[in-house]
Amino acid sequence: MLLRLASRNLWRNRRRTLLTLSAMVVSLALLTLSLGVFSGMLVDILSSTTEQYHGHLVINAQGYLDDRDMYLNFPSDPELLKRLQQDGEVIGSSERLRGFGLVSHKDRSYPAELLGIRPEMEKTVTKLHSQLIAGTFPSDADPNGAVLGSGLAKKLSVSPGDELVFVTQAADGSIGNDLLIVRAIFSTGHSGHDNSLILVPKAWLQQLMALEGKIHEIALAVRDPLRAAEDAQRLTSQLNDGLKATDWGELLPEMREAIASFDVSRFIFVVILYFATGLGILNTVFMSVMERTREFGILMALGMRPLQIRLIVLLECLLLGLLGTALGLVVGLLLSSYMALVGIDLSGWITPVTYAGGTIQPRLRAIFEQRNFIDPAYMLLLVSLLAGFLPARRAARLQPVAALRED
Amino acid sequence: METLLLAWRNVWRNRRRTLITILAMSFSLMLIQAFHNLSFGVYAQMVDSGVRSGSGHIAVYRGDYALSRDDRLLWVMDEMGVMGVMGNLQTRITALDGVKAVLPRIYLPALAQSSRESRGILLTGIDPIAENGINPLLKQIDAPALIKSLDGRDALVGSRLLSELKLKVGNKFVVTAQGPEGQLVSELLRIRGLVKSGIREVDGSLVMVGRQRAALMTGQSEAIHELAVILENPDLEEKLLPLIGAMLPADSGLNAVSWELAMANLANAIKLDYASQKFIFLIIVLIVTIGVVNTLLMSVMERIREFGVILAVGASPARLRATVMTEALLLGAVSMLFGNLLGALATWYLVEIGIDLRDFIPETMEFGGVVFDPVMRAAWDINYMLQMSAYVLLLSVIASLYPAAKAARIAPAVAMRHH
Amino acid sequence: MPLISLNNLSKIYPLGNQQIVAVQELDLRIEAGEFAVLAGPSGSGKTTVLNIVGALDTPSTGRVRVDGCDYREMKPKALADFRLRRIGFIFQSYNLIPVLTAAENAEFTLMLQGVAPKARRAKISALFAELGIAGLEERRPNDLSGGQQQRVAIARAIAPEPAVILADEPTANLDSHTAEDLLQLMRRLNREKGTTFLFSSHDPLVIAHAERVISLRDGRLENDIRQEIG
Repeated sequence: MLLRLASRNLWRNRRRTLLTLSAMVVSLALLTLSLGVFSGMLVDILSSTTEQYHGHLVINAQGYLDDRDMYLNFPSDPELLKRLQQDGEVIGSSERLRGFGLVSHKDRSYPAELLGIRPEMEKTVTKLHSQLIAGTFPSDADPNGAVLGSGLAKKLSVSPGDELVFVTQAADGSIGNDLLIVRAIFSTGHSGHDNSLILVPKAWLQQLMALEGKIHEIALAVRDPLRAAEDAQRLTSQLNDGLKATDWGELLPEMREAIASFDVSRFIFVVILYFATGLGILNTVFMSVMERTREFGILMALGMRPLQIRLIVLLECLLLGLLGTALGLVVGLLLSSYMALVGIDLSGWITPVTYAGGTIQPRLRAIFEQRNFIDPAYMLLLVSLLAGFLPARRAARLQPVAALRED
Repeated sequence: METLLLAWRNVWRNRRRTLITILAMSFSLMLIQAFHNLSFGVYAQMVDSGVRSGSGHIAVYRGDYALSRDDRLLWVMDEMGVMGVMGNLQTRITALDGVKAVLPRIYLPALAQSSRESRGILLTGIDPIAENGINPLLKQIDAPALIKSLDGRDALVGSRLLSELKLKVGNKFVVTAQGPEGQLVSELLRIRGLVKSGIREVDGSLVMVGRQRAALMTGQSEAIHELAVILENPDLEEKLLPLIGAMLPADSGLNAVSWELAMANLANAIKLDYASQKFIFLIIVLIVTIGVVNTLLMSVMERIREFGVILAVGASPARLRATVMTEALLLGAVSMLFGNLLGALATWYLVEIGIDLRDFIPETMEFGGVVFDPVMRAAWDINYMLQMSAYVLLLSVIASLYPAAKAARIAPAVAMRHH
Repeated sequence: MPLISLNNLSKIYPLGNQQIVAVQELDLRIEAGEFAVLAGPSGSGKTTVLNIVGALDTPSTGRVRVDGCDYREMKPKALADFRLRRIGFIFQSYNLIPVLTAAENAEFTLMLQGVAPKARRAKISALFAELGIAGLEERRPNDLSGGQQQRVAIARAIAPEPAVILADEPTANLDSHTAEDLLQLMRRLNREKGTTFLFSSHDPLVIAHAERVISLRDGRLENDIRQEIG
């Protein structure tokens, strides 16, 4: 009964209700859209370092990450690899050896970072193979095929098929050098990787650095990157002494902080927007209460208790809130789907931007994250109820006689 | 005058509604002004620190060095035909009004080797005398640890690079780069101090030496890549860019570019951040506008009978329209004044005290290749504040269009039957 | 030529699918200086006729001429101006603007005409004295009694010296004593200034004061009686 009364009251001033509703829908829909786009940016930033380089977590000898000491290596262990691959959370793994040196082509020489990998394994952890701009990703059988970043390739003026010479210090103190053949060129938008990273066959690099059978790290991809820290902890306990699993958050603390601070800014953003929306709702409900003073007087004269009057007003707000939330979510989902499927390309306007150790791609693309919908929706309902509180109190405090005299 | 007075009284007929509406408008204006001023201050700080360690407000490069960073685009100041009666290019630019410093630099990709490790680095040759006190990278370095001469073997090394090479201050190491004919040239350097910037790429790959020491590896001791021009004030860039451009001979291949071009990373970071902020502003404005339309419409609808009387006694519909629009304008004006007051207070707080983010982010958060100061401080952008104030007035008038049209369309005979 | 002439006037309102005939083929002439009332039960079409004469409403068919002007030939703006200068209105109640003082309400029509503030003030002071509401100039409508409010409304109506004053149920919300006073007052204005008054009312008191009683029933003319008033 009260519910029916409340819902009919809502439509007494159709225009006013619709305007208020539209403000709620606009704020919720655009809120979810922008949160989705921001989440998309964060995912881009995160994947620019994890899926294009580190992996979500890495297993190294203790201390290796501090200074990437080439002697802090450990033997390649098929048993360990097998065990890791059987872990429910791990979806990819790749053994790697790392070397630094000068790479030359004809009279051009540049410093470079080499990652010795097995191509088929690396594909399970990073996505460099899907970011090629020339050539084809080498197979495991290729003895000396190299994949290098676009910036480096340009400076060396090489294209697939060209020869490279790599010079480095080997573990035995000698200077090693050997030939590589360019097989493919990748472009990630991350200037550090594009300008210095080269993927080479693991066996080739092991032999050149005099580190046969040794690796520096096992890079892993996990099911949920945002829970990589838990996975790292669990895996470390299963590893031999002297080995440690490190998640991306520990590798890039500033990025972890950036992602954490996103939650703070999301909250501030929601509060500010809803403050403005809430004032609009407050105004509407106040108006509808004030112009019904006489009617509330009649209801009271008929024996309705102040609490029930208050309930009617709050119910109206709740209904308005539910309606606004439902419509806002629908519109927000539609906008977000558009931005997820189509997106906006900004590459004509800006170039990639580095942020907290990662790279923001010049595009707007939304991703769906439950929290980006659920949190704003709950908050909007809460705001509608809060906005109804004052008017409801006002209505409940009316004196029936005075209210009846009101015209 | 009468219209204004009448409108003023009408605005206050429903005090609560008007106050809520004014609160929403002025609060939004405050938010927009305060947030803009905060960003304005933070961007200015980022640009300042960025241009000082990077390209300067204006940089002189040969060819497309700004984009390609092709280390072959070396040049020698005195050989580019830019000598004039006033001396070489550096002296002539320094002589311009508003120029604080002109910093010649050379950047060579190289390999640094210690007895155990090798790493790729960027060997950066600078003019230590000119650079000290300007370049923020050199700020926390104690005077004795600074490089002293243009051609000494003393080097400043990034902190992470130092630990990766397993070296300490005072140690020696070898730097290998490509010589003029493609052969490899090595130099022995001594570590005089370390640079800890908080920017991953800088700390992991910077080696700074006197510019002649670096240039000697290319075979020409005077060769440079960049002339970074630091201005007294970033607003002078627009005026000085063409002046500096005009000093460069047309056949020299030299060109002057602004920092936005030379440091696209920073410029784009700011652009992106500001664009997302604008989007948020737009949503706020949209919601507030709907609120104002709602308020005005309510006040028109509840006065239908009264408007009928006014029409009946002979007022024209245009007059009713003007009344409603004047009411909206007054509402906007009050909100504008109040919002500016709040906005100024908030900005004042943000300028004087600022926001300390050290509890939320590490002290060395990098954005666009520049360390982001964790204590954010606003700066006054009066032009913007005025512009936003004008928008508030404009907005209230726009919001009144529909309610005003509604009022003007009232049929008096029907309106007076209305209760 | 009569001040007001209605020829074969009809007004039909659509109401849902039906059509409500408010006025049907009405012919009426009112001369300058008359003090006439349109009488009849509610729904008889009195208010519609009054609104049409006042250029607030348009007839479905037929012709209206007031003070030599044919409404059909006039644009909305000209009609508003005509209302402002040639027609005065008095309504039931709530017809003062609540945010204006009594004097400002009375001045409103003069202000619309662009009369200078000083001249307006002077004219309204004189009118207030004449209407027995001197001293109430600064009160807001809410602080005035019903009778006082109607006097202010009369002041507003006669201030521009219109050709005719149209009064729609002016006594509806007043007690009979106040109503009597008010009618006396309007009668006096009619005699002394020669202002034409056309009422719509079913109040016997109003009918008793009128020189001419035009009775309507279901939108048609029923009776048109002239009577002597003491």
